[in-house]
Amino acid sequence: MANLRDIKQRIVSVQSTSQITRTMEMVATAKIKKAQEKIEAARPYALAMVEVLGNVARFVQGASHPLLEEHDKRERVAVVSITSDRGLCGAFNSNILRLTEQIISREQSNDAETSVIAVGKKAISYLRYRGVEPTVAYRDISDKPTFADARAIAAHIIPAYEAGEIDAAYVAFNRFKNVAEQKAEVYQLLPIERRVMETEDAQIDQLMPEYVFEPDAGTVLERLLPTYVETLIYRALMESAASEHGARRTAMKSATDNATEMVNTLTRSYNRARQAAITNEIAEIVGGAAALEDS
Amino acid sequence: MARTLLCEIVTPERVLYTNEVEMVVAPTLEGEIGILPLHVPLVTVLKPGELRVRYNDGKDVDWFAISGGYLQVHEDKVIVLADNAALASQIDVGRAREGMSKLEERMAQLKQDAAEDGILEDCERDLKWCQAQVAVAERR
Repeated sequence: MANLRDIKQRIVSVQSTSQITRTMEMVATAKIKKAQEKIEAARPYALAMVEVLGNVARFVQGASHPLLEEHDKRERVAVVSITSDRGLCGAFNSNILRLTEQIISREQSNDAETSVIAVGKKAISYLRYRGVEPTVAYRDISDKPTFADARAIAAHIIPAYEAGEIDAAYVAFNRFKNVAEQKAEVYQLLPIERRVMETEDAQIDQLMPEYVFEPDAGTVLERLLPTYVETLIYRALMESAASEHGARRTAMKSATDNATEMVNTLTRSYNRARQAAITNEIAEIVGGAAALEDS
Repeated sequence: MARTLLCEIVTPERVLYTNEVEMVVAPTLEGEIGILPLHVPLVTVLKPGELRVRYNDGKDVDWFAISGGYLQVHEDKVIVLADNAALASQIDVGRAREGMSKLEERMAQLKQDAAEDGILEDCERDLKWCQAQVAVAERR
């Protein structure tokens, strides 16, 4: 039977851990809300952007732009891997890193080189450990991403794609499905998929009025496409931020639950040990008394 | 009551402004463009500068600094997609000026070092944004 004091100490230590995890859970819950609001706030821009893009694309029939063109070869592929800066959020980071490695091994088996743009300390340290040196690494942005961050990331892939240095670009991030669910996903950034620009409904097409473009449709498209890629990255960053808090909340909730259960079990063995000690003492006293009477 | 336009100024981070207005004046690549109700559908590229919005029988004007973006007009609805935008009264001139001098310094440095074009372009864009903010704040 374990020593009473040892059990007591363990109970105290588990309790203090559960206090920490409970606090982290509550902090994460508050942060999810904020992150979700940010996603909502960004929606009007993204929607308007797609609308304008659709309008422009209709007038530039067979639009050609370096970002739309698929390259004939596929020799170098860039992956933007979005993780968090901090741990204690369950499988959040390992899912993304596994996906990233899958892409890397898939491309390498097709004889394509890969370069990784790592966002978040977790991606940086993991990839370095695995011997993959990220081409660019960003830290301290995954908690509160800004559009400028997205732009900075885009600046590493858009010119490279135009110059033919890379032949495709993907982003791996956690999509925020709901508060309790995140899904690691890969999205193709470049070349921009043409279906983005095609209106689904042919009828709308006919009802749409003639647009005037200034300076001209080609120029507008040329400027719009890079911004579109930037919005995609921005969205991925924000979804990842919201997912991070969601994942952390779930992880911390189960940690708190486990700690509570452990405290219960430990308290039970503590009481049992205490009872055993008392019984033992009584037996000794009774035994002692009996010995005295006998003499 | 005169016919009005619905004007929306949207940045990637939020919807900055929505209002029923009579006229929108925006800086395009080729000069300024004024948009009144019943304007033909239009899509245009904006450059960094000042954007004015007139409403309430021309008595009120809201001034904005924008850092460039796009503008779409469709059925009396004007959507401004700006990379960055600020209402004139909310511009922090001191910070914008500070940013300007810092960026100018950095750009001079970068030019000397013959750094990659990308960084220089970024700086130039940020600089133009700061300049637009200062210009708008001063004209108010």
